[in-house]
Amino acid sequence: MGRRNNGGGTTTTSGVRTFAFEGPDIVTVRARMDGSINLSDGTSVRTWYFGSGFNGDRQWGGPVIEVTEGNIAEITLFSGMPHTIHLHGLDVDQANDGVPSTSGYVGRPMGNFGRVDGYTSLGTSYTYTFKAPHAGTYQYHCHVDTVLHYEMSMFGTIIVRPASGSLTTIWDGGPSFDKEYVWQLGTVDPSWHTQRVSGAGTVRYNPKYFLINGVDGSNLFNDSTVAISAPAGQTVLIRLNQTSYQPAVVKMGGLSFDVVASDGRPLPQPLTKTSLYISPGERYDILLTMPASGTYYATVDYYDIKGRNVIGTAVTTITVL
Amino acid sequence: MNRRDFIKTSLGAMAFMASGLTLAPKRASAATVDITLIAEGAQKTMVDENTLYVWQFTDPNGKGPGVLPSGMVLLEGDTVNLTIQNNLDRPINFTVEGTSIQTPNINPGDSYLLTFTAPAAGSYVYCDTANGFIGKAMGLAGPMVVMPADGSSTLYQGGPAFDRQYTIFLQDYDDRLNAAIANGGTYNIDDYLPNYYTVNGLSYPDTKSDGDTLIAMNVGENVAIRLMNGGTIIYPMHFHGYHVNVISRNRTPVTDVIDKDTINVGVGECVDVILPVIQAGAYPLHTHYVPGVTANGVYVNPYGGGLIVMLAS
Repeated sequence: MGRRNNGGGTTTTSGVRTFAFEGPDIVTVRARMDGSINLSDGTSVRTWYFGSGFNGDRQWGGPVIEVTEGNIAEITLFSGMPHTIHLHGLDVDQANDGVPSTSGYVGRPMGNFGRVDGYTSLGTSYTYTFKAPHAGTYQYHCHVDTVLHYEMSMFGTIIVRPASGSLTTIWDGGPSFDKEYVWQLGTVDPSWHTQRVSGAGTVRYNPKYFLINGVDGSNLFNDSTVAISAPAGQTVLIRLNQTSYQPAVVKMGGLSFDVVASDGRPLPQPLTKTSLYISPGERYDILLTMPASGTYYATVDYYDIKGRNVIGTAVTTITVL
Repeated sequence: MNRRDFIKTSLGAMAFMASGLTLAPKRASAATVDITLIAEGAQKTMVDENTLYVWQFTDPNGKGPGVLPSGMVLLEGDTVNLTIQNNLDRPINFTVEGTSIQTPNINPGDSYLLTFTAPAAGSYVYCDTANGFIGKAMGLAGPMVVMPADGSSTLYQGGPAFDRQYTIFLQDYDDRLNAAIANGGTYNIDDYLPNYYTVNGLSYPDTKSDGDTLIAMNVGENVAIRLMNGGTIIYPMHFHGYHVNVISRNRTPVTDVIDKDTINVGVGECVDVILPVIQAGAYPLHTHYVPGVTANGVYVNPYGGGLIVMLAS
């Protein structure tokens, strides 16, 4: 079996990726509760996140984790406080599902923190082990007191690379691409980021900031993991991972794009669209063919949960090099 | 054992008998069915012991899945004589969304006899629309499941077969609206943001001790799950442990995005899925609008919860 070990978690940005990643297959992360991010209006909010332990961690969301289709993946979580990793969409066995009530949690019991009374502690580290299924885009997140830990940004993206090891096709026999982005959608309600446990401070969620990959506002134009740039005619893959609590509509500045996969499964036929609705927890893989020239403005419109009104928009650029 | 912890790994070894409300009338041909629904106010005790004043359609001769006070299971082509009695303080109607089945407004104290033919097989929401947004927000809604005319265990005649089926009826409440209506006040629906969520009238952990709502199944089976939005917000329902086949959305076959772990159930939508049970275990099915798994802001254990259903095989 072609299991590869990179020797303990070197962060790399090789190939056609635009993002740092951990892997393949063998990854270690630590639950960190000392993070913060600065929003475009100067506000700073506290975050919790899965850290790779290296300098340069984004303190919103964990690292992109890459595993190889058909290989045994091992993701080890270290945590003193109660946290887990739920492997969202990977359909793993119950022991590795990361739900405290049915799979236990990592960390020591900490009173009310985490709301895990009566559930099983797995100790201060646990190795989540699974056979990576279909190539595609998945999510991972903490499932302890999820309503708060998820908002605090204890989530990330898992890419299952095809069994062939190709870094330029989404699945073996599937479409190829020249450049690859991961857009992790999210919002921030600052009042929730002062909480330690769900309760009176988490009765209603009213986001004030609208993010992609942890940045908002004008910062979206300057972030190389968000702003899209490629030569005319190239094919850009954007893996959309919906980790906000709001439904969202993604547009590529009026350019049409092909939706080729969702939730880690190819669609029966690609769908050509100019806007795509994504509800919380979903993933979509879309392919954009760069036009001949010009700059376009891609948008993520976040809607209220009644699905009626746009409550905030993240805007970035698509630039033809 | 604490009832809140009763689903543990040991459930993986159990085999489940068929259960669930929607397996009930197993008829081979259409019939005439008499149903009475009473629109009325009620005090509903939530999982955290708070009480909300809600509106509901109550069937004096039956009940719906879970603790829903009504729910209809019909066979395609049934002749339904439906009597609606309005015991609320304002006019209401009875509407089956996505059909032409609707009463005129019924005044307080009045009743109305509506005769209709059960429509094409599928999942439907009935509700009041005379009060606009507030009807569903106060709870005046219920599930209507129509089985195929040939009496088969399929989602529609010639459609996918299943070994068992469950109805997952989703609702939300904003206690500020309930209080305003109870007190004869008004409420700006633009401010509506729920803080209680129910499935079949129940919140977690009560969802896992209810025979209609605990999705009990055996490895190798195909289980039909009807995700029915009887509320006012989106419900992106995420399955742990399984991808499901999305069969139909508001009775229209889905052919474009069909193999999913997270299925958006939009406002006014019913989505029927088939879950192939590929592995044993205890897994949750929950909304990924994660505030929806709380009760008044509090996450599950130890104080109560919201919109989580357990799958057990």
